[in-house]
Amino acid sequence: MRFRDRRVRTFLANRSAIAGLVILTVVFLAAALAGVASPFDPELRVEPVAGKFARLLPGGAHPLGTDSNGFDVLSRLLHGARTSLLTAVASISLALFAAIPLGAWAGWKGGWVDGLVMRATDVTLAFPSLFLAVAIAAMRGTQDLATVIYAVAAVSVPPIVRQVRAEVLRVKSLDFVTAARAVGIAPSRIVLRTVLPNCIAPITVLATLGTGTAILDAAGLSFLGLGPRAEQAEWGVMLQAGLDYVRDPARWYLVVPPGLAIAFTVLGFNLFGDGLRDALDPRTQR
Amino acid sequence: MLHALRRLLWTVPLLAVVSFLVFVIGESLPGGAEAARFDVHANPAAVAEWKHERGLDLPLPQRYAHYASRIVADFDFGESYVDDQRVAPLLLARFQATAELALFALLIAIPIGIAAGVAAAALRGRWIDWLANTVALAGISIPVFWLGMILMLAACAVGYRSFQGRYDIAHEAVVATYTTRFYLFESLLRARFDIAASCFAYILLPGVALSTIPMAAITRMTRSAVLEEVGKDYATTARAKGLTRTRVVIRHALRNALIPIVTLIGVQTGTLLAGAALTETVFSWPGLGTFVVEAVRRKDSPALTGGLLFVAATFVLVNLAVDLLYGVLDPRVRVGGGE
Repeated sequence: MRFRDRRVRTFLANRSAIAGLVILTVVFLAAALAGVASPFDPELRVEPVAGKFARLLPGGAHPLGTDSNGFDVLSRLLHGARTSLLTAVASISLALFAAIPLGAWAGWKGGWVDGLVMRATDVTLAFPSLFLAVAIAAMRGTQDLATVIYAVAAVSVPPIVRQVRAEVLRVKSLDFVTAARAVGIAPSRIVLRTVLPNCIAPITVLATLGTGTAILDAAGLSFLGLGPRAEQAEWGVMLQAGLDYVRDPARWYLVVPPGLAIAFTVLGFNLFGDGLRDALDPRTQR
Repeated sequence: MLHALRRLLWTVPLLAVVSFLVFVIGESLPGGAEAARFDVHANPAAVAEWKHERGLDLPLPQRYAHYASRIVADFDFGESYVDDQRVAPLLLARFQATAELALFALLIAIPIGIAAGVAAAALRGRWIDWLANTVALAGISIPVFWLGMILMLAACAVGYRSFQGRYDIAHEAVVATYTTRFYLFESLLRARFDIAASCFAYILLPGVALSTIPMAAITRMTRSAVLEEVGKDYATTARAKGLTRTRVVIRHALRNALIPIVTLIGVQTGTLLAGAALTETVFSWPGLGTFVVEAVRRKDSPALTGGLLFVAATFVLVNLAVDLLYGVLDPRVRVGGGE
């Protein structure tokens, strides 16, 4: 119990980790309450006049104005939190689901299995992740959130595989694992019950920091026009639409808020992840 | 030597596998090759003939062998499915545009990043350390394309209008006679300072936006590497001999810290290329990133395959170069110790 307490204490004493926690709470609340808190439906064209959609300046019923589709920007921003978090969490979960068994298998088995898995990650890591994601989106062809989720999940797999493998290799040589083997416990049981639980801390840190990267990658894909359709309330999509207004400082509200939301959220994941790492891993303590 | 040789030998099969993978990706675009050229109502006989002319009815391994041998023998990446243009010259031009942008960003990022990291390490715990950490953290959290858009918005607000492209259109005729597509660097070499100034005006905003990615990483790495070196025995000895803390940091610790920093710059190439793709989209910079995205939009497999291959090869080769340089910088690696 005391050990557990120390980790919590370390985390709580870390001011930037707390800042990360606060930021994430705000973003998760925005996502959860988007349906209640936003003044309009994010895909409702407000006040169409003679078939043209009003592009209203901020003020009155629309604190952040309306965009070229006549959508309320604030409502889209709040719903965008939901989209971004769902996309990032879904892709990281998918990636963990594929990468943990693969990494554990490679690390535990060693030999040719290990060699094969490692060379495969080498090949995928030969691509900058965004380009790999672009290639996957191109192969899938359809432009929707699922494409973004699959693409971001796929590029998140290789780093997690490597980390899991490294952790399994480290834990494998520890005395208690040798003891378990000597007693004759089945290898699959040792991996599941003994080795993997000891890898939970670094994997949690990696997944937290990875979620931040996933949000950036997903927004990048949408921004390049390979993500969901233009009506979807998603921050990257909003920025892509904002690209038409970057020469018009009066339309700042179509450019500034979505990017600020992305930066804020990613910053939250980075601060929180760094704090987790410092609390969970005594080796990196400064 | 052994280390270098092993790395060199591994690069060849790696590039071969990467090229095969990229070829398969290009071949498996939905709708097949004809989607780039024909719509769904096209005459099937005409589609079949077009595919036959290009050898697209051959089995995949045979087509890959043909593709790879053309690249190796003639540096020929085939022709676009959309307009029959040869891909290789386009790729080279686009690659140089991206390379100039990336180099410009690194020229900003390396000195500032190292200086900020050293300052943060030397004055650890003081306000400058806090500032460097905060800015570096912001640098890895802010989407680079949004930063580009904000810079553009701010520039427009003060009346700066040099973007969308690489130089002022008035210089088009002169620039067309250049031997390379490194317009800024070649203008400087040719002492055409008027054109260089124009190129500089156009590269400044995308370059600054892109530089934040490597700058943040370099600052963080420099700080932690210098701090690690300062804690070692030789630094204590130097301090005991009466050297000031600043002198120990700059003359001794930084020199050893350069090894991880150089490695980091290699690793950062991938992120830099990805960031370049996004930055190029904001500033209509005719680089490799916009090339790949256009290829996806046009379903143009040869362009997509060539673009991805170029990106991956650049990344792999820069990392190889860094690895070899690492051996030069750190004699322990060269003799194969510590492995």
